Amino acid sequence: MVRLDISGMPTLEVNHKLRELVQQDNEIIVENPHSVHNFATALKGKAKITVEGSTGFYTGGFLQGPTVIIKGNTGLYTGDNMDGGEIIVEMNTGSNCAPSMAGGTMLIKGHSGSRTGWGMKGGNLIVCGNVGMWSGKMTLGGRIIILGEVGMGIGESMYGGIIHVLDPKADEKLGGNVALKPIADKEKKEVETLFKKFAIEQSVDSFRSIMPKVYGRHEYVMFKPTHKKRAEV
Amino acid sequence: MCGIAGLIAKERSNLGDDLVNMLKELVHRGRDATGVALYEQRDDIQARITLTDPSFENDLHQIIQNFGQISNAKIYPGVGIFTFFEGSIAMDSNQISQLHWDIDSHPNLCVHSLGQHLKVYKDQGSAEDLVAVHQIDVGDCTHGIGHVRLATESVENINFAHPFVSYIYPGLSLVHNGQFTNYFNMRRKMESLGIRFKTANDTEMAAHFIAYEMKEKGKDLESALHTALDTFDGIFTIMVATDNQIGAFRDRLAFKPVVIYEQDNGMVLFGSEQISLTPIISDVYATEMEPGGVKIWSV
Repeated sequence: MVRLDISGMPTLEVNHKLRELVQQDNEIIVENPHSVHNFATALKGKAKITVEGSTGFYTGGFLQGPTVIIKGNTGLYTGDNMDGGEIIVEMNTGSNCAPSMAGGTMLIKGHSGSRTGWGMKGGNLIVCGNVGMWSGKMTLGGRIIILGEVGMGIGESMYGGIIHVLDPKADEKLGGNVALKPIADKEKKEVETLFKKFAIEQSVDSFRSIMPKVYGRHEYVMFKPTHKKRAEV
Repeated sequence: MCGIAGLIAKERSNLGDDLVNMLKELVHRGRDATGVALYEQRDDIQARITLTDPSFENDLHQIIQNFGQISNAKIYPGVGIFTFFEGSIAMDSNQISQLHWDIDSHPNLCVHSLGQHLKVYKDQGSAEDLVAVHQIDVGDCTHGIGHVRLATESVENINFAHPFVSYIYPGLSLVHNGQFTNYFNMRRKMESLGIRFKTANDTEMAAHFIAYEMKEKGKDLESALHTALDTFDGIFTIMVATDNQIGAFRDRLAFKPVVIYEQDNGMVLFGSEQISLTPIISDVYATEMEPGGVKIWSV
């Protein structure tokens, strides 16, 4: 185990240092992060990195193996284009979490903002709290699990993938091109396995799944403008 | 990218400092200019005006003396090339709009604020530069809005910085994050109605539009903002403050962020990012405003 104090260290140096340490040690504890941006980006290896505090934008972007645990909050675009490994955020995250995530698992124990998991292609995203509007927008693949309330337009224009929600009012907030169905037995087992791994105590029976109505290429409809008169100046 | 922040807090003693601290956290969203609009609990009419050169002080005094007497006047250099005038004017409050325009008609003078409660401090650079040069000299404030600017649509000139005020409706101030794509069309229409523009900044159009809706059409702030939402085209997250209200509205695609946190005791915090709320209150769950939404808070 190694402790790394990054107080006042430039971001580039932080990431170079982490890259070195990940090769040598399997447990790294980072102190005084002071909401550093671009923390732990493009890291490979199998180490476990624990951050004692909050990090800023693009935390764990392009992550390819390690487990990153953030004890505080994270900023916008956490886990941007993540390929593998795990990100565990103990508190809240900003908007646009896990955009274009291709693999790995991200667990948010608090709330997340709008457009959570947009354009996701693979992997698992679990949010224990609420999410904002347009979460799971234009998702291509992967799995999003939301335990709290969802915002408006959930799953708007999904192409693939699946979103599991508990929110009883989810049907009022569905986006376009998606359908809300009861959770299938096969999906229950997969979600249960994930919950067991991260010690989440939640019954999977009451979940519902959001899936695209049409997979793959959408049917195009000619846009017809509605000539609504604008308010006079 | 710009950053906006706002605060309604009647019980806090140093609202000006609070708002500046919130803007300091948003410095990464723009450092071309920083401004705050604060609403004081006072009754005299105070003015804050820029001069391109101290030699225009006489011109300014001549214009103001047509309306009333100046007291507590001070004149000092700003961060950049501009000179600032600040003072109280004993005058008829019905003539504020006329005086405002008379001063703005002078090519070398520009009103930053003129009114009974409102005071606008704006200058180039970051929030730290602003407080280094300007002594934010306000009494008990009830609310305020602020802005950090990253200039994209018009020149880097502090008269083009936010918060914007309008001579049509004294007491209105406005901050905007985004761009209008129908600025020239709107400006042409508004100029044909007799509305006059001081700058070439697209946000000034928004301030005059909302002020005109309220003053000439007799609308309240909420319905004026609904009309603005229908009429404006482009990207915008806007906060508007009047003597007793703060309103916010957002375009339907919600490109530009704003998070809001309301406390039970009536305190409301607004910010482009969660980090801007941390100088006042940390680790709270602030909610994002919905797309195409209009919301009003009474002070």
